[in-house]
Amino acid sequence: MSELDMEVVDGLTLSEKHRELLRPGEAVEDEHGNSHRLPRFFFSVPSWKKAYETRLAPHFKLAELMTVDCREADLLLNEFPHYVPCAVTLIARYLEDLRRDADAVVLVGANGGYRSPVHQRNEPKSPHCWATAADIYRVGGTYLDDEKSIAKYADMAQSLGPQVFARPYTKGDDHLHIDLGFITVTPRNCSEGLAAASPDVQKHVRPKTSPQ
Amino acid sequence: MSDDDRTEQLGSAIETIAKEQKTLECAVSVRDYNSDFRFSMKSDRLFHAASTIKVAILLAVMKAVDEGRARLDAPLHVRNRFLSVVDQSPYKLDRESDGYPQLYKSIGRTAKIAELADCMITSSSNLATNLLLDFVGTDEAAKVLRDAGLSGVHLRRGVEDENAYDEGINNEATADGLAELFAAFRGDFLSKNSREHAIHILLQQRFTSMIPAGLPSHATVAHKTGEISTVCHDAGIVYLPEREPYIVAVLTEVDPDSNGRRETVAKISKVIYEAVTGTRTGK
Repeated sequence: MSELDMEVVDGLTLSEKHRELLRPGEAVEDEHGNSHRLPRFFFSVPSWKKAYETRLAPHFKLAELMTVDCREADLLLNEFPHYVPCAVTLIARYLEDLRRDADAVVLVGANGGYRSPVHQRNEPKSPHCWATAADIYRVGGTYLDDEKSIAKYADMAQSLGPQVFARPYTKGDDHLHIDLGFITVTPRNCSEGLAAASPDVQKHVRPKTSPQ
Repeated sequence: MSDDDRTEQLGSAIETIAKEQKTLECAVSVRDYNSDFRFSMKSDRLFHAASTIKVAILLAVMKAVDEGRARLDAPLHVRNRFLSVVDQSPYKLDRESDGYPQLYKSIGRTAKIAELADCMITSSSNLATNLLLDFVGTDEAAKVLRDAGLSGVHLRRGVEDENAYDEGINNEATADGLAELFAAFRGDFLSKNSREHAIHILLQQRFTSMIPAGLPSHATVAHKTGEISTVCHDAGIVYLPEREPYIVAVLTEVDPDSNGRRETVAKISKVIYEAVTGTRTGK
């Protein structure tokens, strides 16, 4: 993360409209009644140019993991900066390992990386809202739209570590979903204290180690 | 010639063509904006709409644009996974039978709504059709048709929804319904920009072996064909530089093993042109 040269923002300091959509730090329940806090710290992405220039891993650019379609809220789709949870770097790392093991290009589809809690394809409890999930549509020349191909790469993904969940094939699937669960990342010089959200506190925080 | 005489002669000519071509059923609706001449033949009979239903989806998309629910330059996720209207079970489309197989290369990526609308009409892409219908919503699209006052076009499901087909749930249209649908692109149901955009797409139609084939070369047609094994249709707006346009819808039901079904529609288009304009085009 220290090499990304991208501003990190505390979601609690964003505009009211952004906070309504991103719901930073808010607790949501999953289908089992477990409570999880949505991400609070985000990379502030100033442009698509920056998103395409920013490599999260040798073969994965930030753009690939933040591309959404018009089911995203207008403000988040059409206006910069875009805000992407800091944990996006982690899923990129695992995708890179999957690419290495598959020895082929791994294509994460649109809507397949970070989606906000208000994205119409989403539920707020989806790991996509944490930027810790990826929907993989193609590996090399193989579209993952049948049981055999999905099972093959699901096994490969799960072998990367116990923290990786790969959803088993169900009838009609057209991609492989993998995720790391509900991980949130707090950059080193960011505070999780509520004071950080006060208007008196500097709103945008840049990690100390990032290039100026 | 009086309108009554024109109607009688045109009806007789169409019946002769349909009989010669062994067409099982034939329905026609004509509306001429130049003379107010109207012609109907079995025009309230329902047919399987086949791909002519894509015009109804185009109307719904353009209405969504007018109402701010969609933008033509907005990206839409391209995926081949749709849910049956019967039981929400997933199904996918057959790339090989799609009018625009190139779109399948975009699976996983996005395409602009304008591009999908273009593919849906000009190349009759089933994938583009289902993506747009999924985005707009079948119920919402059907509501747009009702709001437009269209009673002869019934939009009930996406393309290749086999579960729905097995349950007898199909998209259907009458000749009058399709004529009304095209008339909606000329009235004030849509904004001027949306009307012009839709007509521009319909004018780029790649499949020209039916209505356009029966017209002189200086005619242009904003239209949509529809063909499955048992039906063969074409409907659209015929533009001629010397006069106001006319709307025509020709719907036919045919033996699945029959030949020359498109030629039948082309021949009917020709006699309609002659009746509407009062000219003879020869063989």
